Amino acid sequence: MWDYSDKVKDHFLHPRNARVMEDANAVGDVGSIICGDALRLMLKINPVTQVIEDASFQTYGCGSAIASSSALTEMIIGKTVEEAEKITNQQIADYLGGLPPEKMHCSVMGREALDAAIANYHGKSYEQSHDDGEIVCHCFGVGINKIKKAVWENHLTTVEEVTNYTKAGGGCMSCHMRIEEIIDEVWVDLERCGVPRPGHAPTPIPSIKIKTVSSNAQASFDSATENSPFKAEILKILADVQGGLPAGSKVELVAIEDHNVKVKLQGEIAQGMMREMTLSFVEKKLVALDDKFKVVGV
Amino acid sequence: MDVNNLGVGSGIYLDNNATTRIDPKVIEAMMPYFETYYGNASSQHGFGVPVEKAIKKAREQVADFLGAKYPDEIIFTSCASESDNTVLWSSLWTQKDKDEIVTTKVEHPAIIDTCSFLADRGVKVKYLSANSVGDFDEEEFKSLLSDKTALASIMWANNETGNIYPVPRFAEIAKERGIMFHTDAVQAVGKIPINLQETKIDLLSMSGHKIHAPKGIGALYVRRGTRFLPFLHGGHQERGRRAGTENVPYIVGLGVACELAKSHLEELNTRVRALRDKLEQGIVNTIPEVIVTGDKTHRTPNTLNVAFKFVEGEAILLMLNEYGIAASSGSACSSESLEPSHVMQAMGIPFSAAHGTIRFSLSRFTTEEEIDKTLAVLPAIIERLRQLSPYWNVNKPQVKQADHLFDPDSQEVRA
Repeated sequence: MWDYSDKVKDHFLHPRNARVMEDANAVGDVGSIICGDALRLMLKINPVTQVIEDASFQTYGCGSAIASSSALTEMIIGKTVEEAEKITNQQIADYLGGLPPEKMHCSVMGREALDAAIANYHGKSYEQSHDDGEIVCHCFGVGINKIKKAVWENHLTTVEEVTNYTKAGGGCMSCHMRIEEIIDEVWVDLERCGVPRPGHAPTPIPSIKIKTVSSNAQASFDSATENSPFKAEILKILADVQGGLPAGSKVELVAIEDHNVKVKLQGEIAQGMMREMTLSFVEKKLVALDDKFKVVGV
Repeated sequence: MDVNNLGVGSGIYLDNNATTRIDPKVIEAMMPYFETYYGNASSQHGFGVPVEKAIKKAREQVADFLGAKYPDEIIFTSCASESDNTVLWSSLWTQKDKDEIVTTKVEHPAIIDTCSFLADRGVKVKYLSANSVGDFDEEEFKSLLSDKTALASIMWANNETGNIYPVPRFAEIAKERGIMFHTDAVQAVGKIPINLQETKIDLLSMSGHKIHAPKGIGALYVRRGTRFLPFLHGGHQERGRRAGTENVPYIVGLGVACELAKSHLEELNTRVRALRDKLEQGIVNTIPEVIVTGDKTHRTPNTLNVAFKFVEGEAILLMLNEYGIAASSGSACSSESLEPSHVMQAMGIPFSAAHGTIRFSLSRFTTEEEIDKTLAVLPAIIERLRQLSPYWNVNKPQVKQADHLFDPDSQEVRA
């Protein structure tokens, strides 16, 4: 038996706002009898204040689907459309004191019904407002956008979690590999936003050595350098020069003081004649930009 | 009554195809083998003697119950799943020139999942399809058999619908072609008369806990003359066919449970059958839009599977549980899988009904009062869930703003 919280049981046995609202001005229909759950969310939105003055639902589904619908109506009544749109599926689950992981898709369905109702309020049809994208799971008709959204909002890392949240991959399982790819794609973006991927170590591919870029490449500069109007162009020129250097050699910007540019040389170009040649080469390039430039090696 | 802490003396248990109450007489018979007779049956001293005798008696009780010609045709196992696994592997190991298994789409996972495991490793598995009432076609069965068939395995009765299959007839067909025949009889034993001597069945699996013995004990019938290799290797127990020190108290319990099942067989087919029929009639007469699934003419006497259209099974179970009533569902949500039961899918039950299937399974401990109580609360539960369901539109106002209709026969998927 499912381990439902007392709040889930309460909302299931005593659902709030479970009725047909004849004069609703926003109706959101989601789900399907094939999937085993479906929800119609009905709202009365004040056209002047945009406040959701009333909300009701009709739900076909299991205990947690009914409880999630009931909770959603309680959460949105009194909110403006703009405020309601910010509610996440996780907040619906939290409101209910949590849902079993396998039942998280019930909270996702609630969230989708809200989107559909708001689209309906704005006079858009479900099809107009809804871009599933590429259909990934054909058994349950789940598109790539829904999977990406669930992974993004809930930081999902496994196919199993994606199935719990969206049902995708819960049928014939032939899309599991595709779902793994989508998880990886989303995490590339999540990591860029500073979310560390839990326990993730990329699988090393045998016999292929991946060149890593050292992280101190973006060293910080002093304020004079930062504020120099030439900084971007100088960095670009140095990068071009770097491209022509022998392996193991490096030229880096240290500071810009008015028209004096300090650079640091590493590797075989840092010695003797090569050093002089490199510095004069860089200076020549900079002079083309502005003839007052002087290059100094440090 | 705490509805999340039910047991003997509280609640109404209508889930006997899942497991059954242990008969107090079974527990009574087992106790001395916990408290007093703890010896090992293989020992050469006085502690082993009573234990060895007890196992011998239990083996005779099981053999008698199944109508086996010789007690040594009975092997005690840990459960019917072990019996099933043993049979599938043994049939392949002992017939190296054969690599095909013929079974059905409505078998228990112990067969169907093991078959798909074997199929992933090179065994060719052919599945007999079921019609809309869950029955098989004899001609189709014949067409699946070939000289490469190592085993034909067909359940005797289905756990979800209760359908009883003409297994003795299928065994004859297999035997005519020299093919080994097995039946998973977990749901048939104790509910229909079985006399293996009169059949051509080579192998039969059964479980203790479906016939009021404890969980953790099962049996495998292996007809004398059937090629066999053990699944568990080690000691020489069970004539070298199943290693492991005998689970003596449970074996004793299974023996007594078989004897009791034999004596209650008549009661199951009269009193319990009448209660099941009363439940069925009560539901059909008071609740609209229900479908009784399975073959009503060939069902185990204790089983009723009903599909309540437009509502979802797990929700029904949760509401029933509030009244202390226990049943089970073939709905996707009540299991860890997301699809409705493979049996309902094999029968082609429409999704609008498959998600709302409820199985009521009775036992000799079920009383008329319990059936009356169930019938008293069920119509209101279904009505209440239908009031919540967007697929049920009887006596409901229309929503003007809606640009979409919830159609139970539609294949559409939104979001």
